[in-house]
Amino acid sequence: MSCDDAHCVTCADEALAMRVVEVRDDGLAVCAGDDGVADVMTDLVAPVAPGETLLVHAGTAIARVA
Amino acid sequence: MKFVDEFRDPELGRVLATQIVGTVEPGRRYKVMEVCGGHTHTIYKYGVDDLLPENVELVHGPGCPVCVIPMGRVDDAIAVAKRPGVIFTCFGDMLRVPGGKETLLDAKAQGADVRMVYSPLDALRIAREHPEREVVFLAIGFETTAPSTALTLVRAKRERLTNFSVLCNHVTILPPLRALLESPDLRLDGFIGPGHVCTVIGARPFEFVPRDYGKPVVISGFEPLDVLQSVHMVLRQVAEARCEVENQYTRVVPHDGNAAALKVLAEVFELRPHFEWRGLGFISHSALRLAPAYADFDAELRYDVPGVRVADPKACQCGEVLKGVIKPWECKVFGTACTPERPIGTCMVSSEGACAAYYNYGRFAREREVV
Repeated sequence: MSCDDAHCVTCADEALAMRVVEVRDDGLAVCAGDDGVADVMTDLVAPVAPGETLLVHAGTAIARVA
Repeated sequence: MKFVDEFRDPELGRVLATQIVGTVEPGRRYKVMEVCGGHTHTIYKYGVDDLLPENVELVHGPGCPVCVIPMGRVDDAIAVAKRPGVIFTCFGDMLRVPGGKETLLDAKAQGADVRMVYSPLDALRIAREHPEREVVFLAIGFETTAPSTALTLVRAKRERLTNFSVLCNHVTILPPLRALLESPDLRLDGFIGPGHVCTVIGARPFEFVPRDYGKPVVISGFEPLDVLQSVHMVLRQVAEARCEVENQYTRVVPHDGNAAALKVLAEVFELRPHFEWRGLGFISHSALRLAPAYADFDAELRYDVPGVRVADPKACQCGEVLKGVIKPWECKVFGTACTPERPIGTCMVSSEGACAAYYNYGRFAREREVV
């Protein structure tokens, strides 16, 4: 997810598929993707469960992949 | 990885390419615009355009959020970043966007505390960790990114953080699309619509394009086969004399969008009466600012920003590139005075910008053609 690479996903209309690892009680979930683990806001797709695949853009899950 | 590998299958790509050849009329030229910079990046990275017949041309649209930020807004950001006590946060690509005289990276080199973040939530975390400092987040992006800023501001308000603010440059995709469609020098057969914007606003808002302007729209995913299939769907509509909004990206895009996202956007933001787009000029109701309920978090109200309009460099033809009037390599300074290392125009900064994407990938194919 580095902006130093040729591609900056945060700046684009692009999102990464990430798998929910742990659901926290503050509206955040720990999610894992190809580029590592991150805290993700899940308000737009709540409730989420471990094992689900979310589409994550700029730290926010914008859709559930199905 | 599921939902990725199957959309990069080369055999399926060849099948789609054959179907596209069978759909187009020999001797007729087709122009299809991909609105979104993410699609531009996919097209060049995977060589999607190399799989298309010679008479099908992909035109790159204005959907790169970095590329459309005018220089005056960059100067506003730099002015805030240079204030004593401010920690200025932004996405990586914005660091290198030229303002009237310098970039945010230049300001950082001169001592301003400018930090790259991957999300507004990261900026909020910095504000919590540094209560003695003022933390400002430079918000850019279309409707895909705006919910992230909105949710972060809801959290900041809930936590009663007083040292966090947002310099808002969020833009909306439909007004510039309408402006493009009104442009007399635009000749297009259809559009590939921005898939991730549509996860938020849905496919329905694009219905004005076929209804009012007679152009097909196909909402598309971002893997190479998504884009290739979407090109085929646009061309098939043309061949069958149909004109409608189709959704290729059904695995994530609901027709009516994400209700929770639309609700938080309506709570946190309101439309600006006007906003300047680089290369496109001022477009009414095309950008967002913070709603009065979030005025305490509005960096434009908190700080004195210059707010001066800066004309683009004369040599730069980003405007024509953004409107699809010229190809990146047709710009006078492409690849010579303007490169990703030393960009003159914003299209050369972000890798989603048509010029940078073409510089990084497409120019090699063109060099082969020339040889």
